[in-house]
Amino acid sequence: MSPLDWAVLVLYLVAIVTFGMMVGRGNRRIDDFFLAGRRMRWWAVGLSVMATQISAITFVGTTGQAYTDGMRFLVVYFGLPFAMVLLCLTLVPFFYRARVFTAYEYLERRFDVRTRTLTSLLFLASRSLAVGVTLYAPALVLSVILGFREEVTILLMGGTTIAYVTYGGNRSVIWTDVVQMGIIWIGIFLCLGVAITQLPATFGLRDALALAQGTGRLEVMDTSASLTRPYTLWGGLLGGLFLMLSYFGTDQSQVQRYLSGASLTQSRLSLLFNAFLKVPMQFMILLTGVLVFVFYHFHDAPLLWNPAELQRLEQTVPADRLEPMKQRFEQAREARRRAVLAFAEARHQGRPADLSAYRLAEHELLAARASAIGEVERATGKEYNDTNYIFPVYVVRQLPRGLAGLVIAVIFAAAMSSLSGELSALASASMVDFYRRFARRGSSDSHELLVSRVLTGLWGGVAILVALQAGRMGSAIEVVNLFGSYFYGSILGVFALAVLTPRANGHGAFFGLLIGMASVAAVANLTAVHFLWYNVVGALSVFASGLLISRLTRARAGAG
Amino acid sequence: MELPPRGDDAVDGGPDDRVPLFGSWSRAYAAVVIAALMVMALVAVFSRWPF
Repeated sequence: MSPLDWAVLVLYLVAIVTFGMMVGRGNRRIDDFFLAGRRMRWWAVGLSVMATQISAITFVGTTGQAYTDGMRFLVVYFGLPFAMVLLCLTLVPFFYRARVFTAYEYLERRFDVRTRTLTSLLFLASRSLAVGVTLYAPALVLSVILGFREEVTILLMGGTTIAYVTYGGNRSVIWTDVVQMGIIWIGIFLCLGVAITQLPATFGLRDALALAQGTGRLEVMDTSASLTRPYTLWGGLLGGLFLMLSYFGTDQSQVQRYLSGASLTQSRLSLLFNAFLKVPMQFMILLTGVLVFVFYHFHDAPLLWNPAELQRLEQTVPADRLEPMKQRFEQAREARRRAVLAFAEARHQGRPADLSAYRLAEHELLAARASAIGEVERATGKEYNDTNYIFPVYVVRQLPRGLAGLVIAVIFAAAMSSLSGELSALASASMVDFYRRFARRGSSDSHELLVSRVLTGLWGGVAILVALQAGRMGSAIEVVNLFGSYFYGSILGVFALAVLTPRANGHGAFFGLLIGMASVAAVANLTAVHFLWYNVVGALSVFASGLLISRLTRARAGAG
Repeated sequence: MELPPRGDDAVDGGPDDRVPLFGSWSRAYAAVVIAALMVMALVAVFSRWPF
C-alpha cells in the first residue's frame, strides 16, 4: 500500500475512536449504557443492525466465494425479509412492552429463572468464543496483506473498538455503526465501479456478465428439493427464514440494537429497513466478487491468493518441480485470456459464441493450481483454502492509490462494527442476567454503570485472548461454530413457546430446549443434511416437545 | 401461565407511534413481502438474462 493508503487507514481509525468517544458521553445509568437511553431513531438502529450482522469475514468471504463459486450464497438471505415481518408481529412487541434489557430476561417473566439462565449462558458461551473469531479471521487476512504481525492487527482492531465501547456503550456502538455502514456502502459502490471501469475497452459489462453467466457464476435459483445440497432456493427460503428468526429474534447482539429504539414503531421500522435493503446489498457484494473474477481474466491472477503461502512455496519447493507448475499455470492463464477475447469478438460480430476453448483452459488452470495447493498441504499438513484472500489481494494490488486504503478501512469497519455490537451484548447479558440477577440487586446507578464498563472491558480482553490463541485452536473453532448451530434454532423454539401459546410452561421450555439441542446434534452427526436446515429442526423439536412436556407436567400437577 | 401484555398498535399511542408509511402495519408488512418477492424475481431474471 502507498503512503496515501496508510494515511487513509490511520485517519479512519483515529476518526472513528474520537467520534465513538464524543457521541458516547453522558451515560448515567445502564439504560443509557446498554440501550442508549431508548431514544434512538429507526434509521440509526437499522444501520446498526445491518453493521452488526456484516462482519469483515462476511465481506471478504462472500466476495471470494462469488469469485470461486458464483452468487448462489445469496439465497441464504432470501428468508430475511419474511423473518423481519414475523419478528415485528411477534417477538419485538413482547420485548419492547416488557421493557427488558436482554432477550433472555423476558424468558424469566414468561417461564422461570432456569430457562432464562440457561439461554443466557448458551449465548455467553458461544458468543464469547465467536467474538474471538470475529476478530481473528479478518486480522489473519489483513496481517498477510498488510505485512503486519497477526498480533498487531488483533490489538489494533480490538483495542480501538474496546476503547469506545467501554466508554460510550451502546450509543457509541450505534453511531459508529452508522458511520461504518456508510463507509461500507461507499466501499461497495467504489469496488463495483472500479471493477467495471478496469475491464478492457473491447470487453464491456455485457460481455463480462455473459462470461459470468456462461461459467455458472450468476446462478442463484437452484430449485432442487435435496436437503443435503448447499444453497438451494428452498433451503434459503425456509432454512434462511429460521436462521434469520433465530439470529435477529434471540441473539442479544441484535435484540439489544432494536431495543434501543425510541418507540416500538422505531424498533419495528429498523427491522423493516433491513428487510428492504439486505438482499440488494448482499447482491452487490456478490456481484463485486463476480466482476473481480472477470477482471482477473485480463490481469495476472496469482497461482495462490495467500501471499505468505505463495512465498513459502517458492522458497521450499525445488525449482525443477515449481517451474513446470508455474509455466503450466501461466500458459493456461494466457490461453484462457485469448479464449475470452475470442468469445467477446464472436458476440460482437453476431457469431455463435461458445466457451469450449475457455473451459479447456480453465480446467488446465485449475489443475495447475491444484498441484500447487497439493504442495502447500503436504508441507503444512493442513487443508488449504485461500478464498478469503482474493478480495484483499485485489484491493491492495489493483485499486488506485488512496482507494485501496479506503477499502481496507472498510474491512476494518466491518470487523469493528460486529465486534462492538457483540461486546456490548456480552456485557449486557452478563450484567443483567447474572450480576444484577444473582450477585447484587438494587445497587446504585453509578455502581451498575461502573460494573457494566468493567464487564465490557473484560469481554474485550476475552475477545483479544481468544483471537490471539485462535491460530493454535484449529479444529476448536469448528467445534465452537458447530456448538452454536446446535442451539440457535432451539432457542428460537423456546421463544416461540413463550409468545405463540399460553399452554407452554417452564418445564416444557427448559426440557424442550435440551431435547431440541439433542435433536440437532443427532441430525448433524448422523445425516448429511445441510446446516441451513439445523435451525428448522431445532425450533420445531423444541416447540413440539415443549408443548408435550407442558401438557404432561400440567396433567400431573392437576392429578396431584 | 399467562402471556405478558403484547404491544399492539391500539395500545401504543403517542404521536411517535403512528405508522409513518402505508397507513397501517398490515399494509407496511405486505409492502415488505411484495418488495422481497419482486427482488427475488429480479434476481431470477438477472441470472438468466440473455446478455
